[in-house]
Amino acid sequence: MSLRALWIISNEKGQKASIRFSKRFSTVEHRARNLAGSSYVAVPEDSDFLQLLLTELGLSNSNKSYVADRDDCIYRPRSPAVELRLNGIGTLWPVLVLSQGPLILACLPLVDILSEPRPPLANLLSVSQGVTLLAGLQTFLLGSGVKLDSEGLASRVATLPSLLLQVCPLGTPLDTPLAGSHTASTVPTSTVAQKQPAWKTGVYRGRATVNVAVVETVRSMQYGNQSRQDLWDVYGTVTCKCEVEGALPNVTVTLSLPPNGSPLQDILVHPCVTSLDSSILTASSVDNADGSAFSGPYKFPFSPPLEPFRLCSYTSQVPVPPILGSYQLKEEENNLRVSVSLKLHESVRNSFEYCEAHLPFFNRNQMGVVDVKVSSGQVDVSKEKNLLVWGLGQKFPKSREVTLDGKISFTGSSLGPSDPLCTGLTAYIKLYLKVPDTTLSGCCVDQHSVQVYSSAKPRIVTSRELQSKEYFIWNSTGSAPMSSGQVMM
Amino acid sequence: MASNWTERISAFCCSPSGFLSGTNPDAFLAELLRELRDDRASYGVKVLLLSPLCEYPTLLCSSESVGEETALDLMSVFTQCPPRSSQFRCHLLVALTSVLVCSSCVSNRSRASLDFIDLLLQICQDTSDLDGDGTQRCPRATACDCLCEIEASCPGLLSQRLELLAGLRQQETSWLHQAFAGLQILVLRNAVYQLTKQTGAGAAHLKALLDGNTSVAWEADQEAFHMVTKDSAIQSSLILGPMGRVPTLHTGPDCKELRSVLSSLLEESYLLTPLCQAALFRRLTEVVAMVPGIPPTIFRAQLLRLLGTNEVCLLHVTLMMKCAFTDSLFSAEDEAFLLKRLVVLSQHPLLSTPEKLFYMDCILHFPENRPINCGDSDEALPVLLTPQLASALLPTVFNDSATLLARLHLQALVFLEEGEEEGRGLAYIYDHLTALLHIVDRGGSRDIVVTFFRAAFLFLFYFQHVEGYSARLSEQLCQLYLQHTQLAPHILNLVDKTLERLPECNWALGLLQGLQRVISMAPLGQLTLRDLSCHLKVLARVAEEGKISQCSTLGFLSAVITQSSSLLCTSGDWRLGNGVLGVCRRVLLHPSLDSLLIPLADILQHLTCYYGDTDIQDHARLYYTLLTTLSREKLSVVLAQSAAEGGGQVKKRTLSCVMAESEGLTNILTVHHTEQPVFQLTEALSGLQQEMENLQLSQDEGDKALESYRAQFSESGFASQIMLKYHLTHTEPHDPRFEQIFSICLHFSLTDDHYEQLQDISVPCLFRQRPPPVVQLTLKPRRPYPTTIHVSAIFTSKDGLTWHTTMPDVHVEFQQAFLPLPVPLSWSRASRQDVFEGLWEEFCSEMGDCIISLFCCQLREAALKALVEKHFLPFLVSDLSQEDELRVLLFLPPRSHVLLKISSKEDATQFNMATDTRQLLPHMNSYLLTVTSSRDESVR
Repeated sequence: MSLRALWIISNEKGQKASIRFSKRFSTVEHRARNLAGSSYVAVPEDSDFLQLLLTELGLSNSNKSYVADRDDCIYRPRSPAVELRLNGIGTLWPVLVLSQGPLILACLPLVDILSEPRPPLANLLSVSQGVTLLAGLQTFLLGSGVKLDSEGLASRVATLPSLLLQVCPLGTPLDTPLAGSHTASTVPTSTVAQKQPAWKTGVYRGRATVNVAVVETVRSMQYGNQSRQDLWDVYGTVTCKCEVEGALPNVTVTLSLPPNGSPLQDILVHPCVTSLDSSILTASSVDNADGSAFSGPYKFPFSPPLEPFRLCSYTSQVPVPPILGSYQLKEEENNLRVSVSLKLHESVRNSFEYCEAHLPFFNRNQMGVVDVKVSSGQVDVSKEKNLLVWGLGQKFPKSREVTLDGKISFTGSSLGPSDPLCTGLTAYIKLYLKVPDTTLSGCCVDQHSVQVYSSAKPRIVTSRELQSKEYFIWNSTGSAPMSSGQVMM
Repeated sequence: MASNWTERISAFCCSPSGFLSGTNPDAFLAELLRELRDDRASYGVKVLLLSPLCEYPTLLCSSESVGEETALDLMSVFTQCPPRSSQFRCHLLVALTSVLVCSSCVSNRSRASLDFIDLLLQICQDTSDLDGDGTQRCPRATACDCLCEIEASCPGLLSQRLELLAGLRQQETSWLHQAFAGLQILVLRNAVYQLTKQTGAGAAHLKALLDGNTSVAWEADQEAFHMVTKDSAIQSSLILGPMGRVPTLHTGPDCKELRSVLSSLLEESYLLTPLCQAALFRRLTEVVAMVPGIPPTIFRAQLLRLLGTNEVCLLHVTLMMKCAFTDSLFSAEDEAFLLKRLVVLSQHPLLSTPEKLFYMDCILHFPENRPINCGDSDEALPVLLTPQLASALLPTVFNDSATLLARLHLQALVFLEEGEEEGRGLAYIYDHLTALLHIVDRGGSRDIVVTFFRAAFLFLFYFQHVEGYSARLSEQLCQLYLQHTQLAPHILNLVDKTLERLPECNWALGLLQGLQRVISMAPLGQLTLRDLSCHLKVLARVAEEGKISQCSTLGFLSAVITQSSSLLCTSGDWRLGNGVLGVCRRVLLHPSLDSLLIPLADILQHLTCYYGDTDIQDHARLYYTLLTTLSREKLSVVLAQSAAEGGGQVKKRTLSCVMAESEGLTNILTVHHTEQPVFQLTEALSGLQQEMENLQLSQDEGDKALESYRAQFSESGFASQIMLKYHLTHTEPHDPRFEQIFSICLHFSLTDDHYEQLQDISVPCLFRQRPPPVVQLTLKPRRPYPTTIHVSAIFTSKDGLTWHTTMPDVHVEFQQAFLPLPVPLSWSRASRQDVFEGLWEEFCSEMGDCIISLFCCQLREAALKALVEKHFLPFLVSDLSQEDELRVLLFLPPRSHVLLKISSKEDATQFNMATDTRQLLPHMNSYLLTVTSSRDESVR
């Protein structure tokens, strides 16, 4: 349940990978030596470790197309726990690796099972603990921003020693850095009879406020093809921010569905939820849906932490996608004939925060003449001349259907971007949309259903929102890649 | 100064071995401790100074006694540290724990470690400023973490404190109760484990343990306790599944006390962070598994909360609980639910890739209530995982490569289990493979190429027997190769690995044949030289297979070299020519050579006559001659011999030198690496002493001794070198291949910048039987500090191969840089003494880097004399017979001096030192310590 060492590596494009921070937990190492006996493998020094890790991750010698050590077909890196083969000394295992953007985080958990061959990862609690700690550190270092600001990173790396003193002083992870440092406690708790949760850094004082937001995300793959079934799915998250007095206040949030809504599936809850009804957990997306399944109301009693948190998440099988599209391309002499139609389903609120259709073109020259007509909205050509952006504004017309028709010539002087998937007539439209105050599953939190057990009357704010992610409409005249095997079976 | 420390500490942490090779660990430790005691240093810097002690305590404290002393030093720093610098105090506690645990002080119950544990317990109980500003919180938590780590490293150490710890946890209302809970359960678990190892221990012992009533029975068994503690099994996990054996404590159903402790821990588990909760549950599981008197259903109330969690570590620990208790805690429905959960989580859109992959691994090691296959085989599918359920995890081209391969692997197991060979599942997998192949075909990235070949290998590994698919894959690979010849190494790698793993399978041979066919049938007009080079590599591999006919290969070669438009012969590219010869050479060894005689002879003859490179022509001619004059048997003997490793070295050299692209040639051209060092440098005794005795001391410089001594340095390079003599000797164990070695070139590389780069040294030969040659290293110091030099060598062995070997490092000790006063040999003793006097006076001023110091030790007069004779005779300026004071002048190139006045006072021998380079003092000090103190206690 402990870690022997921890590394933070930056591997920015065009720069040499380097170790930004590393930490060895000597007492855990001491235990590792005792436990492993003659099969003990010491942790290599940083520079050796970096080299070995990059080879293992396939990041070394990136200019060479084939390197036997790196590319052997017999070898399958078992991420997240990879092994580093030290020259002649042995194998360092399991090295947990998380990488996101330019940052690679790695740690080496202690193996506390004496077995030959090596024990399965599932028997080592330190593996899931290590993954949790690394994920927490990753969020801490990169922040919520997509792009890395190197100054911010440097200053956060500088605070790591004191941060680790809180969350992992001697190699045993105690908490993730997200929860903040424990020094924030301002209100003494000695007078409180109740024990304070360790994941709560202080006690809130002031007017009680509870904020509950349901955000649903819809994904889709539409092929416009008789032989290919279109796919879509919806998953939702319920995020709370609760400002309620007391060391361990009780709050209950209830999710409800419309009368014949399909049940919420795959529900996962935050550890602050105190108890669960077993019927809430029964519906699963990998099961054959059972008509008699429990369909709410879904009650979540919990005691909130101070920071905003994801109370629960779910998936749902909705009968229709919000927008049904068709995309047809036809190659004509020097032009590409484009024809698109998008239809908004009648059950969806026709009021968008934004709705855009992106039509990228790969493996072609830049666009020359773009001659397209749309029934609604407006079309822009991106600066790089390889993408049409069709802005649909806040509303679909009354008919709830919009079309785009026209011709594009790819007579530009230079080559556009390439993509190994989208060659020939394999092409897609990607939809970006956000609809406030609605959910596809119909799931909602009624203001009055939020219960807070406190003396003062709390202020309660609830909201709903639908957004898209990976919403693709493939050209039906070309071949399209399969995105899920399940429907084939 | 602070920035200097920042750099030094970061240099140390980057490469501790490199850093310490340039300095002395003891000296570095002393410096760290001194700086830590220094009031002027900021706490920021001091925290930094602790990091070497926290991370590498064993490097700095090499023995228990050093650890003990360091700990005492650190504890005194702790007591002097004001309570308000709580961060630093926490770091200090961590450093102390690291030092004491790693230097084995804790496991040996040393004085300092017991004191430290008392200190920690005291801090834990110190609630004095509960209502204050909360500064005490952090050290309290850290102290608790330290105790936890000490107990984990040395299980059972705190067993007697169980009641105290339980009380502390119960009283604590701040978040600190988490730390106490972690400590309490760990100590409890270790104590119960120890009881299981005691014969006859039962409910009464357990009760006594929990009540802190240590006087009962078990005091007598301290001996046995120590035995258990030393056993590393207690540190390892006790949850190993139904097959693992957990030691048990038979208490009968009456263990109310334990049950109430466990219940109270379980009730409060909700208040812990997920990471600590997971750890707590695991320890609780272990305790319950060891005490059959407690039913596993004690966990029941927590189960639903855990099953619904989004925290990976909490679900993981639930799986471990299931592994330990199977159907005594988890019903069949629970089991089905858990497995479905794992499938859902393995592809959940809100989880990160590493988490999903981890869950997929958990599916393959799912702890079933009634496992069918016993033993801990690597991976097995749970019975409940139907193809229908697993279909949620079919791979798609949108997966990242790790996910894709993991899913493919899982599906392969599923379909294999089902025996479903003609079904839709396999068809899907194959289509998926084809989709990947198309991406590769359309110029996918390197990552996709590698992933595709790994996927192809996985597919073949499980389904090579399904002819329809494997034949199609082979065909598609051939077409892919033709479009992208640069994939040759990947394809050949796939061939080799399939042959290696599936020796009975003919698929790889089929693929090779297919490749041969597409290569020989492709239109020559479009062939580029790059393609040709890849083709030749593939054909060479094809020609190694005796079962594959080589007719079309030869047809292709013949066409390539004879076609009129071919640039190959006229360009005379040596590499390509070699490629062609490489194929020919393998054909010469092919079992069906007889039928290939004429076309092969034609090719060789054509090369001999028309190839644009003389070397290739010559080789072709040799092959031609061999082919046409030798019988098959002789030919294969000759060629096989040249390829064989080891034997027939004379033939090997002559033959392999003329064999193009043969293994022999590659062998001779390659530098081989020895696994072990073959020889080493061992220090040879210097001849300094004898030279000194032959001196004629006559020249007197009068008053100007110092001046004329100084004047010598105006000449550049004066007295700037140290000569060190070494013997070059074989290492043990002895390797017959290296009995006699020749043309040795020694290469030296420095590990720091204290010295100028060394020249390579050549040694003509080294025979084991003969006396070792002497190698003289000429070192030019920039600073005369101890150093380590990496040595490597290239040499030729008797059979003509060239080898590279790494030799053991040469350590240059501080005293090896000592030289006598560099003055002409003819100078009189008096003049030398004058120089000594002059320098001494100058150094005593302590200007610049000059410094004086005193070193004392207890030495009898005879011992002192022996010591001086042994170590300082060449450097003695005064007469050895002089009773009161001996004067020693050590010159260290390029410009440093260390002057010693050694005198015996009644209670001690004093070494008065003066030097012009203050940085030398720590080295000098540790040198004096070594030479004086093998027996004697010495103080500075």
